[in-house]
Amino acid sequence: MRVLWFILSPLIALAVGLFFLGLSRRIMARIHWRYGPPLYQPLIDILRQFTQKSVSHGRLFDIGIVLSLAGSIVLIEFLPFGGVCPMSSSGGMLVILYVMLLMPLGVALSGGEAANPNTSIGISRNLILAMGYELPLLLVLLALMTRYETISIVEIVSAQREAGPAFVSFPLVLSGVAYLLILPAVLGVRPFEVVQAPQEIASGPVAEYGGPYLALVTIQHALSLFIGTSLFVNLLWGGASNPVVLILKMLVVFVLVLFVNASFPRLRVEQAVRYLWRWPSLAALAGLILVATIGR
Amino acid sequence: MILGLLLTVAFGGALLTYLLGKVSSKLRDWFAVLVSLALVALVVSLYGKTLSFPFYEGFLGMPLTLRVDGLSWLFAVSASAIGLLSVVFSLGYMKGKDRTSFYYSMLLLVNAAMLGVVLSGDLLALFVFWEIMSWSTFLLISYNGGPALTAGMKYFVMSFVGSLAMLAGVLTLHGSFGTLEFGGVAAGMSSASPGYVLAILVLFGVAFWTKNAIWPFHAWLPPAHSEAPSPFSAVLSGILIKMGVYGFLLLSFVLVGLKSFVSLGGGSVPFHTVLSVVGAITILLPTFIAIFQTDAKRLLAWSTVAQAGYIILGISFATSLSVAGGVLHFLSHAVFKALLFMVVGAVEYRTGGVRDLDSLGGLIKRMPVTFVVAVIGVCGLIGVPLTNGFVSKWLIYKTLILERSPFLAFAALFGTWGTILYGYKFLHNIFLGQLPQRYEDMERAPFSMVLPMTILSVVVVLFGVLPGIPLSVVDTIGVSFGFESLDVSLWGLASDSGALNTVNILVAVLVGFVVVWSVFRSGARGARVDQSDSYAAGAAVPTDRYQYSVRFYAPLRGMVAPYLKDLVDSFYVRLAGWVGGLGDGLRRVYTGYVGDYVMYIVLFLAALIFIQTTWSPW
Repeated sequence: MRVLWFILSPLIALAVGLFFLGLSRRIMARIHWRYGPPLYQPLIDILRQFTQKSVSHGRLFDIGIVLSLAGSIVLIEFLPFGGVCPMSSSGGMLVILYVMLLMPLGVALSGGEAANPNTSIGISRNLILAMGYELPLLLVLLALMTRYETISIVEIVSAQREAGPAFVSFPLVLSGVAYLLILPAVLGVRPFEVVQAPQEIASGPVAEYGGPYLALVTIQHALSLFIGTSLFVNLLWGGASNPVVLILKMLVVFVLVLFVNASFPRLRVEQAVRYLWRWPSLAALAGLILVATIGR
Repeated sequence: MILGLLLTVAFGGALLTYLLGKVSSKLRDWFAVLVSLALVALVVSLYGKTLSFPFYEGFLGMPLTLRVDGLSWLFAVSASAIGLLSVVFSLGYMKGKDRTSFYYSMLLLVNAAMLGVVLSGDLLALFVFWEIMSWSTFLLISYNGGPALTAGMKYFVMSFVGSLAMLAGVLTLHGSFGTLEFGGVAAGMSSASPGYVLAILVLFGVAFWTKNAIWPFHAWLPPAHSEAPSPFSAVLSGILIKMGVYGFLLLSFVLVGLKSFVSLGGGSVPFHTVLSVVGAITILLPTFIAIFQTDAKRLLAWSTVAQAGYIILGISFATSLSVAGGVLHFLSHAVFKALLFMVVGAVEYRTGGVRDLDSLGGLIKRMPVTFVVAVIGVCGLIGVPLTNGFVSKWLIYKTLILERSPFLAFAALFGTWGTILYGYKFLHNIFLGQLPQRYEDMERAPFSMVLPMTILSVVVVLFGVLPGIPLSVVDTIGVSFGFESLDVSLWGLASDSGALNTVNILVAVLVGFVVVWSVFRSGARGARVDQSDSYAAGAAVPTDRYQYSVRFYAPLRGMVAPYLKDLVDSFYVRLAGWVGGLGDGLRRVYTGYVGDYVMYIVLFLAALIFIQTTWSPW
């Protein structure tokens, strides 16, 4: 059964991620008073892109993007998926934090070989933005790990099953607020859409991609939407005992983020970092101090 | 006996190399390699042994001894191995430079002195070797002259202050216990008062922390590392500054002992917690400074300071996991930082001494192997899973979180994100982006450089996938300090709250990669295009240099730069200026004219007579 989940969980994640992508185009369209494309449009795009022409700038250009996507798939194996977690005993939260890094790093290496300043600017922004949200995010994660005295995400979920979701429990409420405030940045939607910024830097890191490369980037985007929302639900909303409930909870979070995306214009990267390092970080810091001083 | 042979080979080899250089440079090169190889073989043969050997009787009435145990073996084997690789790397790098015989013999002398330091069985021998090491290091740092000489002086002055403190410590211990042999000192220390222990810790600590460049003793390191010849930078950063770590471990856990080290300073603010905080500061500040460096070696140098912070944080936190993490991180850092300095050395060698991150770029096309090893080195530095840096940092993070020190853990984790920023900048600005026209016909790095770099990168991955190999050695050291043994297996650790299994991660990454690769390959193949064929969203692509690497993190810089002044360094510089001013003032008094001195004496006597006649105090 566990072996089956190794294969199933990335596939379900892909399906959910693609559904989220289609849904986001639909909802954004309705907010704009348009009809929008059908829900399965991202899937059609991916299939079409696999047969289309593209350019390659070298071996690293190919390997980097594959590595990035492989990183996302490995990361999904580490996430609790409604009661099952395929790789629960291989390093816990700390490994998740590090594997999360393979995604931007792979794209960064691949885009670096593209020798296009637009990609380099995008990557530079990506790393700066990550630095920006990593500060409050780490404080939130440390508050959780300190509170539940474990570095295993599975144990964090099971601890919440006994004591109720972390988000509404007393010492962790501030951390929950902080996480909500940075969630759009983690997912890379507006107002934090500085990395791709099509109108400014020609889609940044993905400027040189076409055909199958673009297909892989879209898949990766879908998976990262899944990872971002799933982490939030598992860490602060108590996870779920079965996959269906998990996906429903993720859907709620995602739609909320979409409304933020529709309501705000894009920030500059330094404005984004300034925001992230101000109120969310203060809330996260206060949350961590609270957890560290109150104890069990 | 074998210890005596080791020392003879090490020091004799250094001298002979210089003499052979007078005869033939080729012979000298091979001899230098042979000596370093022999040293590695001799040290390896000492594995698992505990020996003691008095090599000189009656120096000031005390015997000088050599000894080996688990701790000194680990440091000795890393020192001799990095030394060997650096000598091999030098074969190409130093070709055609002048004073090469001097260079090689100094390199071997530093190596010999390091072996002496870690194999010393008493504090007097340690001090003697420590001084030989400091002096020969100074000569190598200032080898290039010019700014290197200034950097060397800065190192020398700071190192000298450390040595004086250490000498005072040695004399104090001898005065108290009448012996300088480790066992005797440790026996004496166990009944010493806490104030005395603290004084000894600080006296020796100043020497060790200066060598290890712990904040606020770090000021010498960035200029010294960037100005030294690259193969020596590898030794300097990889292993030489880690002599401070060795000294610190010896001091805290062998001489002072685990119990009194941990209990020192009372309940609320124990001494070792203060040290952990210093370690955390040493991680954060230099990391942010490194992000904005434009000189490749200076970037690595600041990163060395930051990584030393992880080591000190791990060791001074003083639990079995954290000390294992700290010691393991010493080993990891020695490997990947030596590798990265060699990468810069190879780039310097082929580009004619350029290491400015703003003017390089695109070298992946000319030096593909160097690029691959650089990526592996940077991954180790960041601590990407499946590299050695990951395991050591994982141990440190895990302890900090589970022992409820989330703020220290935060410093360590956030420092890692800074590491990603400067690590990627290092790779991008040297190897990625557009290749400037002047490097279009550049050759690959020579074999004598590629070989040591490849060996080091293999070690980075090997110790990352099978961390049990180094961990088992580290574990025996921890046990000898009085910690409980860790549950080490070949692929990591098994414990109740969050185990580590690197093999699982490896398999998952490999399978993931293969699956994605085959999906990717099933699609249409991309046409290979030139670097100038790039997309600018309709705008015209300039024909000359089209690259974004200058001011790579400019938006971030605008935000944090005002807070990044190295106040400690400016304090030292002001102190140096003040001492210089004092010297000038003194020179005005000590004019060197006999007449003036006679006048001072007469004035002094007159003052005495005046005082006696007026108040008659005597």
